[in-house]
Amino acid sequence: MKLRDYGDMNLQELDVMKEIGSIGTSHAATALSNLLNKEVRITIPAVQILGYNDAVKQIGQEEQIVGATLVQMTGDINGIMLFLFNMDFANTVFSKLLGKTYSSFRDLDEMANSALTEIGNIIICSYINAFTRLVGLDVSMSVPSSAINMLGAILTVPIAEYGYITDKLMYCNADFVVEGTILNDWLLMLPDIDSLNRILGKLGVE
Amino acid sequence: MDRQLKVGIGDMKLTRGAGEIITYALGSCVGITFYDPYIKLGALLHVLLPERQNPDDPNIYKYADTGIHETVRKLTAFGFVKSRAIVKVAGGAKMFEISGNATFGNIGDRNAAMVKKKLAEEGFRISAEDLGANYARTMSIDIATGEVIVRTFGRPEKHL
Repeated sequence: MKLRDYGDMNLQELDVMKEIGSIGTSHAATALSNLLNKEVRITIPAVQILGYNDAVKQIGQEEQIVGATLVQMTGDINGIMLFLFNMDFANTVFSKLLGKTYSSFRDLDEMANSALTEIGNIIICSYINAFTRLVGLDVSMSVPSSAINMLGAILTVPIAEYGYITDKLMYCNADFVVEGTILNDWLLMLPDIDSLNRILGKLGVE
Repeated sequence: MDRQLKVGIGDMKLTRGAGEIITYALGSCVGITFYDPYIKLGALLHVLLPERQNPDDPNIYKYADTGIHETVRKLTAFGFVKSRAIVKVAGGAKMFEISGNATFGNIGDRNAAMVKKKLAEEGFRISAEDLGANYARTMSIDIATGEVIVRTFGRPEKHL
């Protein structure tokens, strides 16, 4: 059966996406671990299909300031990857890469911003690479773009992009655990509906 | 503080006399406030996309074209007079810039253009606007005074 909306996915299909998410996230964790030179574990991944309001609630509240990196996918899979993180995550990265921490997103300088974009890019790319190898699809990724702003507005980017097709988001989540500390981050993988059907088809779920 | 009405995405609230209507974190979305100072009647509309493509779609406030039309119809039923109207708009930002791909995320511009076009068609003049750029805005209107405030991250509050 061809899906028309994220919300049409059955349990088996969701399970497949969870597995993909798990493979992607563990590769991302390895990349992060190499970069930070620290042990990085991940929590058990979950996949959820959420409406906008629930997605915001899951992460925080609308006006909360978060960092985000976005990469656009084109090729066999079209869509968006969005990586969101809070200040704790950013500081863990900064203390290793820049040797200092910042008290809030407000204080970031250009160096810090560019470090965050790169981290987001590495995490997203290792995720995509792992998962496209698995499904045997060819995907090219755009240069990363990042923003530090209100959560509500960042989540409307995919909502607006696909607003004519669906009003739901697919949210694959596994937190990174760096040396015993859980760092909250959120990875949203948002293939368009055709691409989602293609992924599921490739994996033999019809 | 009097009661506060919260407007979600693709939604509209109107009230009369006193209170505040607020919508949080407008990114590429556009917020439009309508206010009639004579009878202290105001509305705040939050649209996500420029136009409704599927005529069966019941979410009329999600789109600029149907949303503005319906809001004006409702306000008029409550005694709103167009010639007294004060209309202000905010939002329409581009949150992410992907170099080499100018069309990605330009939905904010398209929303803003459609809102302006529709407001002109309905016979409104926009008294103040805060559109574009790359940051989120929280927009509120105080119904007792008609004052519209736009709040952003890392910038001072703006009175439109």
